[in-house]
Amino acid sequence: MIHVEHIQHSFKIGKKGKERPVPVLKDLSFEVKKGSIISIVGRSGSGKSTLLHIMAGFLKPESGQITVNGTVTSKFTETQSAEFRLEQFGFIFQNFQLMPGLTTFENIELPLKLKGVTKAERTKQVEQLVQHVGLKEVQDHYPNELSGGQQQRVSIARALITNPPIIFADEPTGSLDSETEQEILALIRSLNESRGITFVIITHDDEVASIADEIYQMHDGVLKAGGIHHAI
Amino acid sequence: MQFKDQLNFVSQHIKKNKLRVFMTILAATMGTAFLIILASVGFGIQDTLKKEILDNRLVTQVEVHSADLDKEKADKMKKLDHVKAVVLRQEVNAFQTTTLDKYTSPSSLLISDFSEEKKAGFALEKGRLPKGKYEVVVGHDFAENLMNEEEVEKFQSQQQANESNEEEQIVPELPHYEGELLGKEITYEIGSFETGESYKEPIKLTIVGIAKAPSKDFISDGNLYADASLIPEMEAIYDRHKPEESEASLFYSNLNVYADELQNVKGITTTLKDDGYSVYSISEELEQIDVFFLALKAGLIFVGTIAILISSIGIFNTMTMAVTERTREIGVMKALGAKPKLIQRLFLLESAWIGIIGTLIAVILSYAISILANYILPLVVGAALGEENFGELNVTFSIIPWQLVVIASAISIGVAMISGWRPARKATQIDVIDALRREL
Ligand SMILES: Nc1ncnc2c1ncn2[C@@H]1O[C@H](COP(=O)(O)OP(=O)(O)OP(=O)(O)O)[C@@H](O)[C@H]1O
Ligand SMILES: [Mg+2]
Repeated sequence: MIHVEHIQHSFKIGKKGKERPVPVLKDLSFEVKKGSIISIVGRSGSGKSTLLHIMAGFLKPESGQITVNGTVTSKFTETQSAEFRLEQFGFIFQNFQLMPGLTTFENIELPLKLKGVTKAERTKQVEQLVQHVGLKEVQDHYPNELSGGQQQRVSIARALITNPPIIFADEPTGSLDSETEQEILALIRSLNESRGITFVIITHDDEVASIADEIYQMHDGVLKAGGIHHAI
Repeated sequence: MQFKDQLNFVSQHIKKNKLRVFMTILAATMGTAFLIILASVGFGIQDTLKKEILDNRLVTQVEVHSADLDKEKADKMKKLDHVKAVVLRQEVNAFQTTTLDKYTSPSSLLISDFSEEKKAGFALEKGRLPKGKYEVVVGHDFAENLMNEEEVEKFQSQQQANESNEEEQIVPELPHYEGELLGKEITYEIGSFETGESYKEPIKLTIVGIAKAPSKDFISDGNLYADASLIPEMEAIYDRHKPEESEASLFYSNLNVYADELQNVKGITTTLKDDGYSVYSISEELEQIDVFFLALKAGLIFVGTIAILISSIGIFNTMTMAVTERTREIGVMKALGAKPKLIQRLFLLESAWIGIIGTLIAVILSYAISILANYILPLVVGAALGEENFGELNVTFSIIPWQLVVIASAISIGVAMISGWRPARKATQIDVIDALRREL
């Protein structure tokens, strides 16, 4: 599904004119299989988020190639990349990234709006999903009127609404308590099982990593397969 | 994203920042209204001036000046397109006096072709046009020029006596002939300008018609109109008396060409000019006025545009702030798959919206101010000048033609969009990763 081949990336650090490159990703290669949950763990600053940003098309790698479903995405223009994301990817962020001015319903509706889906069709789809993820009661609440767990549910629903084959999650439970974390993990698992959605989850939490089919260890810009693997 | 949703998106953001957007619109409104009002004064004055000119003159008339105008040339001009009539008048270049009973008048005699005169609009109030040699038509105000010296003197001395008692300054009408004119015989004499004496060879003429009053009541017509049959007799008299050395002829010609419509005056004027005549028509004057006012209006619009440019700084600020405030939201939209083009369009829409609403209000406001100014200013100016009937002068201070609205709207909305351009570009360049990293 996703092929990551020889990805290298470094950031320029320092004042203008005196920048020096700091390598963050060093020749990474791995593959994400369709319908699997993979998890990338590693210490803070090891380059996990940078890798996800490159896979999602937010950032262009210095070298190497990403292929998603047979399409080389690493050479995309910004517009192509945006179009591709809208069709293929869903995102779950650590701090939810909901629109403060939109209600639960409207936040979930947003990607459909971007796709140009009609109002009637949008309403139908969002209503169904809101029911499914248990947000019916709070559909008219604004983000600041929701609990952290509810907000993350909204953000998951938003990622799901376009029915993407792949969902990227960067620390999806990073700002939730352990009980809520369990709820969210259960939801991810069930979505993976019922809809066959591929998840790429970045975390430093073993608990979260435990739901993955495959775990990768990021260490100083190098990725190692394996790590803790719990059977369910 | 559907256009409807884009508008929705924009209006939601505007609602969130009502006061700021309101102030920006206010600035845009003021700038645009200033431009429209300023330029409308140019349109108003131009209109007033043109009206004044068109009202006071025969607009379809083209005056032709040339040394030797004759019937042949006049006939040629008659064949030009859109020429309604060519009136060749012969005026008498001598001292003239007309007598009726004991009344005399210094009226001028005009020799003309009545069929052409008729086509050009010459009409009678009473009687008929001359048929025979000694028949004339007199101007509408002919009688007023017929005066008796004794009567006038008596009247004036009386008047002087009254004046010392009364303060009133009504100019009294001098006594003149009051009787019937039609069918009356008058005595017409020519004489020398130098001596102011007639040659004592009177010609008896009969009044057969009285011309209609000129269209403007401040023009008075005291002329005598006769046809060409009188020329030989008059020339004979002149030849017997004129000084030996003089080569001046008794008659000089005056030629007017009349166009069928005002819009054709210019064409006829140009053709005649090309034929070597020296020509004057109202179209020349109107053209000069138009050129002058085009420059004036362009200048006024330019000054008004500066006001709009100043107001555009407000739009630029508002939009820049809007982009900065929404950096995180823009980042999220981009992450979810919004194309840079869409982001740009959303912000351009917002600045265009400010421009459009501002312009709309400005147009309505301008019309209101314009109407009010046209109503109140004449009163104010009239009061200041102490003239009660200033309003009758029909001065229009401000006119807003649709062209002005179109120009002003284009400038205003255009400037709004241009000032929204950079902020919108900035929005598209927002880095997703940077934006997502921001705190809520
Ligand atoms: N825009 C940037 N400019 C310069 N250096 C950067 C930039 N973004 C990230 N880095 C550096 O790259 C390295 C990897 O950062 P990254 O965010 O990928 O780490 P991470 O593994 O996600 O850490 P955490 O678990 O804390 O989120 C860090 O050392 C960071 O300082
Ligand atoms: Mg990270």
